[in-house]
Amino acid sequence: MPTTDTLSNELEPVTIENPVAGIDQTKGDFQYDVTYEFDAGTGLTEKTVDYISAVKKEAPWIREFRQNALKVFRAKPMPTHWATKDLENINFDKIRYYLASGQKPKRTWDEVPDDIKRTFERLGIPEQERKYLAGVEAQFDSEAAYSNIKDIVAKQGVIFVNSTEGLREHPEIFRKFFGKVIPTGDNKFSALNSAVFSGGSFIYVPPGVKVAQPLQAYFRINAENFGQFERTLIIADEGSEVTYMEGCTAPKFSTSTLHSAVVELVALKGAKIQYITVQNWANNVFNLVTKRGVAHEEAEIKWIDCNIGSRLTMKYPGVVLKGRKARGEVISIALANDGQHQDTGAKMIHAADETTSNIVAKSISVGQGRSTYRGVVHIPKHLKGCKNNTECDALLINTNSRTDTYPAITVRGDRNYVQHEASVSKVNEEMIFYMQQRGLTEGQAMSLAVNGFVNDLARQFPMEYSVELKRLIDLEMEGSVG
Amino acid sequence: MSSLVIQDLHVAIGEKEIVKGLSLTINSGEVHAIMGPNGTGKSTLAKVIAGHPDYTVTGGDVLLDGASILEKEADERARAGIFLAFQYPSEIPGVSIANFLRAAQQARMAEGEELDASAYYKRLYAKMDMLKIDRKFTSRSVNEGFSGGEKKRCEILQMAMLEPKFALMDETDSGLDIDALRIVSEGVNTLKGPNLGVLMITHYQRLLNYIVPDFVHVMYDGRIVKSGDKSLALELESKGYDWVKKELVTA
Amino acid sequence: MSAPVSSPAATRSPIGSFTAETFAEHLASLGAVPAWWIARKRAAYDTFARLPLPSRTDEAWRFSTLQGVALEGFHIATPAETTAAERRIPDLPAALATPDLAFANNHLSARSNAARPAGVVVTTLAEAVGSHADLLKAHFMAQPQKLGSEKFAALHTAFVRDGAFVYVPRGVEVATPIVIHHLATGPASAIFPHTLVIAEENAKVTVIDLFYSDARLSLPGGAVSVPHFACGANDLYAGHGAQLTYVGAQAWSYETLSLQFNSTVVRRDARVQSLNLHLGGRQSRHESLSQLQAPGAFSEMLALTVADGTQEFDQRTLQIHQAPDTKSDLLYKNSLRDQAKTIFSGLIVVDPDAQRTDAYQSNRNLMLSEEAEANSLPGLEIQANDVRCTHGATSSRIDPEQEFYLQARGIRKDAADQLLTFGFFEEVLNRLVSDDLHAGLRSLIETQFEQ
Repeated sequence: MPTTDTLSNELEPVTIENPVAGIDQTKGDFQYDVTYEFDAGTGLTEKTVDYISAVKKEAPWIREFRQNALKVFRAKPMPTHWATKDLENINFDKIRYYLASGQKPKRTWDEVPDDIKRTFERLGIPEQERKYLAGVEAQFDSEAAYSNIKDIVAKQGVIFVNSTEGLREHPEIFRKFFGKVIPTGDNKFSALNSAVFSGGSFIYVPPGVKVAQPLQAYFRINAENFGQFERTLIIADEGSEVTYMEGCTAPKFSTSTLHSAVVELVALKGAKIQYITVQNWANNVFNLVTKRGVAHEEAEIKWIDCNIGSRLTMKYPGVVLKGRKARGEVISIALANDGQHQDTGAKMIHAADETTSNIVAKSISVGQGRSTYRGVVHIPKHLKGCKNNTECDALLINTNSRTDTYPAITVRGDRNYVQHEASVSKVNEEMIFYMQQRGLTEGQAMSLAVNGFVNDLARQFPMEYSVELKRLIDLEMEGSVG
Repeated sequence: MSSLVIQDLHVAIGEKEIVKGLSLTINSGEVHAIMGPNGTGKSTLAKVIAGHPDYTVTGGDVLLDGASILEKEADERARAGIFLAFQYPSEIPGVSIANFLRAAQQARMAEGEELDASAYYKRLYAKMDMLKIDRKFTSRSVNEGFSGGEKKRCEILQMAMLEPKFALMDETDSGLDIDALRIVSEGVNTLKGPNLGVLMITHYQRLLNYIVPDFVHVMYDGRIVKSGDKSLALELESKGYDWVKKELVTA
Repeated sequence: MSAPVSSPAATRSPIGSFTAETFAEHLASLGAVPAWWIARKRAAYDTFARLPLPSRTDEAWRFSTLQGVALEGFHIATPAETTAAERRIPDLPAALATPDLAFANNHLSARSNAARPAGVVVTTLAEAVGSHADLLKAHFMAQPQKLGSEKFAALHTAFVRDGAFVYVPRGVEVATPIVIHHLATGPASAIFPHTLVIAEENAKVTVIDLFYSDARLSLPGGAVSVPHFACGANDLYAGHGAQLTYVGAQAWSYETLSLQFNSTVVRRDARVQSLNLHLGGRQSRHESLSQLQAPGAFSEMLALTVADGTQEFDQRTLQIHQAPDTKSDLLYKNSLRDQAKTIFSGLIVVDPDAQRTDAYQSNRNLMLSEEAEANSLPGLEIQANDVRCTHGATSSRIDPEQEFYLQARGIRKDAADQLLTFGFFEEVLNRLVSDDLHAGLRSLIETQFEQ
């Protein structure tokens, strides 16, 4: 089946002429010269892996874990039998795998080096932290430059550190779950991450603790030809609740950058995890992320995933519904502009009775942008009372915009229920005319229409994020008409 | 002469108790009306008598001619003479009204006995004429794409064909305009008689202008809190349900 | 991201019983046929022999039981294996009972002398190779194989011996459906049925293919069964303004491996309705490709599957909108009992300039047992923005509220479930204009249910 794409197959460096893809121009597209004390160099060998492990002073089991992952990464072919051939344009030999100014994040912004601090100030992070966050981790290339958790939350026993600290200081908690939700060999990029991971958050919420404000991480790529490989593990113990938010940006370089994270969530009995991503990568970033959670009995995992920007995003947040009455949800918004391919979706693996899952995916394709929904819903044998509902809606803005939908649904037995619906449409011309007649420009009318299309999903985002989303959509739509 | 006796009935859905000790006796030839505000368990009562699997009887009994029907499946109760006219009749795609009613008639016959098709159609057409239902309806799928009025007339048509001992009419007037209400009521009035007992469940007094009840009961919070004759319905209409609630509180 | 799974040790022969020697014997047995036909068959055999068997990483075979697609142990079926009694299929519904052409084990076994409008040709492929070579060159297996079976389509072309050729000239309407029987008998027999239908400008015709095997005839209940390999194809071509109705009713034995390929080409303002009824086979794969090539073209693609025992039905569809203002409407319904398995993989493709496409795709699975398995892969690839494209897939049991409604009228649960199951099929059967055909297919389904 023709699932391959038509994107450019030129060799690197690939520059894409794109008059309207400047989503980072106003906010994320800037760079400071930073001197890195630690640099693993260019290309990926056993030595690169040893260097990262040594710099981080890791326990031997972690180094072995990394070296084994490197072998798996090399052995695995690119998944181009189903995924886009654009993946072949990633040159792993030209990427820098570890860049850091140090391994220990600062606890106050005053201690953060000026250039890095200015970066995050421009992105508004310290201000947000003051206003409504329970804790912040700010990652600059390979390591967190700043990491802090409010005292009131820390006193409840909540652990919120980066992966280096987590593995070093709380191995008794994290080793039990690390790499268990997403094994190294899950896919080629989870293997890559397992070999060179650095940064990302390690969170543990003790039983019954409900973290009132969100914890936030911000992932910033600053260096050219760089690969960012953060690794996040969140464990919500029985009956606890936590919301985690992540934002991502990078400056626009002429060569490609790689972001390949692994995120594992564990919601123990009755726990609730909400994981919110607003990704706004520059359009030279290959964003290949594996995200999955395991929901135990009566637990709930909800992924809210918003993908704007990047050259190619491949990301299918999943939930393994392991315990009775567990619930999984993926809310996904994707916006693909010229030269961008948002290949996103969801995976729901039902593994216990009376589990329910819900997927709502909305995508917008602008110009020659391409958005793809790819989904898996699996209800294996002898389960009962399982339900899945999936809705995918695609909006095509221009005549040559593209969208694809590739769900795969397997159900066994007569005691479960699944429903999948998808539709493709364009913006209603009557509606645009109506708004123009009231004095709006075509661009403004388009923005309103597109915001209306995603409104029911955007409302599920925290206020600050939905405002940001609206602003980004406005920017995207400015150049889409006329 | 038949009787339908509800004795101290308690019904729950999941953990939640909805009917909380309700007793009522209906004899052939009688028309009872149960009125009450929304959410007091009126529809639950009708469904549980008909044997809907979602409800659990947690106490009490329902006797048809002295024998409990609670252990019987829904289809057994129907064949024993209980008819539920649904508030929201299901749409059954691909099953024509003619086939559906034939299957229902066939189910009431002894094994090996064949339905006399020409007599069946003769009867069906007569009842359809009575209810002013176009004969073309027989080839349409049950309730599929029907208007509210058509659905309710289709329910009465089935009642006419199946000749139950007791008819439970769940909000039969809801969704009907005045013309449809008159046709449906005329149908019910025609079917009324010494061999049929009727339990009408309704929120409004309006229906009772057309189908005059012998007894009126007010249901509130899972119980019958007041009973009387048809004048009670008029009193309710003028004073509203708050009147009953206040009486309850003062009592 | 899904992990690629390495393919199982492929020890199976990619050509199985269909060796070069077998092919040479097949060619020798054809007698005098035109050189171009032989050349096409040779080229096809080379393609068949060159291509590998499907593997785990073939997206077009996702969820299929690949071990079941084995080509060993078969031989090319011959008329000698059938008896005259077997060739008469008993108890068929009236609409299907009288064939215009009947084939048994790859050979013509009967043909009718029915009068037809002037210019209408209903003949065998073997004859048409000589008499209508140009039409055959233009339409016989002429469309690309896009659904995963390039290898098996080539096998079909290489070994096809005979089949039906239906040609309806410009402006002619054929009132009576043309019925074609394809019969397989004898253990391990391989047959290659083919039907080619060409409806020229404003022509109108209905063609019915019935696929049957002796195990169904002689063994009530199909308790004992005979393995066959059926590798068939049909080519449907609807010219400007033509109206073509095609029904394929498949009732192979329960041990048959069946691979069937359909290609439908729909030209300007033409309308094609196809309905495939799948009843038989151990493993049955059906690929259906509709190409909407000019404005106003409409393809209605319908299918009903009654799956039971350990049957596997694998349906792959492609609706390609190649021109603006085209329409397609697909409805595939499967009922699953026992340990049956179904796969529906459908794709709507809208080419970049095919604005105002109206495409619909729906797969409904009725789960009637605890161990049945339904797989749905409804896909869209849309490259034009002014379109109306939707798809839906559901898998569920009988609606309990509907069941209760029927029971509340006194109908016993099993009778209620059967009424509702047939109601589920009616949505597809109701699309047929012909009441006779509707009744005929319903009767075939009833027979399957009684077994």
